Amino acid sequence: MTLTIVRLYHDLLGTYGDQGNAEVLCYRARARGIEVELIEVNPGEPTPRSADIYLLGGGEDGPQLAALEMLETDGGLKYAAAGGATVFAVCAGFQIIGGSLPGNGGGTISGLGLIDAQTLYPKSKRSVGELVIAPTRGGLPILTGFENHQGFTKLGSEMPALGRTLSGVGNGFAATEGVWHGNVIGTYMHGPALARNPELADSVLQCAVGPIAKFDDEFATAFAQERRQTLLRK
Amino acid sequence: MTSSLRLKIACALGNKAGLLSRYLNRGRGETLTGRVILALYPKAINELAKNRDVVLISGTNGKTTSTSNLAGILSEFTGEGVSTSGSGANMPAGIVAALAQEPRHRLAAIECDEMYLPAMYRAISPSVVVLLNLSRDQLHRTGEVRKVAHLWHETFTKDDVTLVIDRDDPFLEYAASQAGHVIRVSFGGRRHSDGANCPQCSKILDWSTGNYACSCGLGSKLADVRSDKNLRGPQRNSVLIAEAARLMGAEISAADAQVLLDDSPDRVSQFDVDGRMISTHLAKNPESWREALAGISAQQVILSVNARGIDGRDTSWLWDIDFASLQGKKVVCTGERRLDVAYRIKVQGCEVVVAADISQALSYFPTGVVQAIASYTAFQDLSAQELGITKVQGGQK
Repeated sequence: MTLTIVRLYHDLLGTYGDQGNAEVLCYRARARGIEVELIEVNPGEPTPRSADIYLLGGGEDGPQLAALEMLETDGGLKYAAAGGATVFAVCAGFQIIGGSLPGNGGGTISGLGLIDAQTLYPKSKRSVGELVIAPTRGGLPILTGFENHQGFTKLGSEMPALGRTLSGVGNGFAATEGVWHGNVIGTYMHGPALARNPELADSVLQCAVGPIAKFDDEFATAFAQERRQTLLRK
Repeated sequence: MTSSLRLKIACALGNKAGLLSRYLNRGRGETLTGRVILALYPKAINELAKNRDVVLISGTNGKTTSTSNLAGILSEFTGEGVSTSGSGANMPAGIVAALAQEPRHRLAAIECDEMYLPAMYRAISPSVVVLLNLSRDQLHRTGEVRKVAHLWHETFTKDDVTLVIDRDDPFLEYAASQAGHVIRVSFGGRRHSDGANCPQCSKILDWSTGNYACSCGLGSKLADVRSDKNLRGPQRNSVLIAEAARLMGAEISAADAQVLLDDSPDRVSQFDVDGRMISTHLAKNPESWREALAGISAQQVILSVNARGIDGRDTSWLWDIDFASLQGKKVVCTGERRLDVAYRIKVQGCEVVVAADISQALSYFPTGVVQAIASYTAFQDLSAQELGITKVQGGQK
């Protein structure tokens, strides 16, 4: 079996290095002997409907809305998510998969609705800095990333957060950060998140392929530990 | 006290403070000089710029070298003295210090930080503003490329200044689109890594010709100067600087321009580390790392990354860069964020080890040629005396 990973519009949603999440997933899957195909979807190209993992990253406001419009028109991502495909979405991508978000010129527009969440622009200043969270699900260590966003994202009552914010802002409501609903994970953590948090990368892989073998990824482990220790000491 | 006397005293005290700072080995002193002047005379920049011909230079990459390059060209070709800072102090304190230097020349070449450009343009009323390039950089501080471009777009709305821009950069074209006088230089077009959609109307840009086009009309204005497609970043900056110098009265012949181009300064410095010469490229964002990687020919490479304020506190941008050219070479990563860069290139299939500092990094390479790329503060650290490292030559090739 070949694991297919789709990187969506990385020209539009690659401002914050999140395209690296795809590289990390490929690297860690291949280390387990899993065959991987990485599919790049550029603006104007159709989104495959039967891939295993779909990745969205952070971007600027204009590109974010352009990406949302194309995803809505194309319909491929919604179709795949409804069929249980894994989605990992960061920052602007996380906002896109929710129910609503700010549009051009102060209005509100509908998101893709893969999760029940509303993004609002608070009057407060942009949330910029290191983010540290305690994951909601068992088995994961403390996770870290770098956040840089204007929006706050309010999760619906049935939506479990990815974690509880220990330092930084995260979703901006009730110390929640991100979302993990079914096979859909959203977060405000850049870094990229899956490079800085190898256990989270494996969680994404497991959503798609089930249990996987252990893998000693020396630099990834050292990198994650260094970030955790440095930030928890602060 | 009259205001001109107050300005005189402010400048004298500021310059004294700068001298003291240099004497105490606290750096080059411009920032302290400038802070003292601005504290005593907040409108000093407006006053000091009066009746002078100032060129402001801004952009993501190459500001400092381009500014000193322009100062050199102007003094060579006009025979006049030129006021300039030339040290990279490009915020208001550094700028006022450069303008307050004695003697106060009519001509001034002043580097300006991207975010301060609107305020400095209003305070200085420059004759010419050179916009070199705009790409992602220090996202935690300056914000995204489109925000900077929009800030500039809202700034240059009159015909009281001439802009010199690389029109192949869609963000600069947008920044200049309301300005009265623009010299557009084209290098034959090249894909901009942040340019998927239009900075003016947000539609997807058409890059099929190797240059951008949009139905809103962005990019439809013809170039005033056409230059060589094969030039790299530092050389493109030299072409823009030569155009600015011409506008300031420098008579530069075609042959002179070619010499200036061949001598384009880049950001490579030679360091003597424990008796070894290490050529080190300063790179601080994806675009300048790409330029630096293109210049790596050695088999032994040191990469040094920090994430202090001016480096950009978020290291995610390391994943914007294709490091495939390092595959098969020996790479040592150092700096405070050595693990960030080590993991990034490991995932791309490079063999890599990490080292606590530059001396330890070098111990992996007992003989042979070593090249280094260092982020901003990591580069400054290389000059730190406690490591026994001496900067032999810098700023010029």
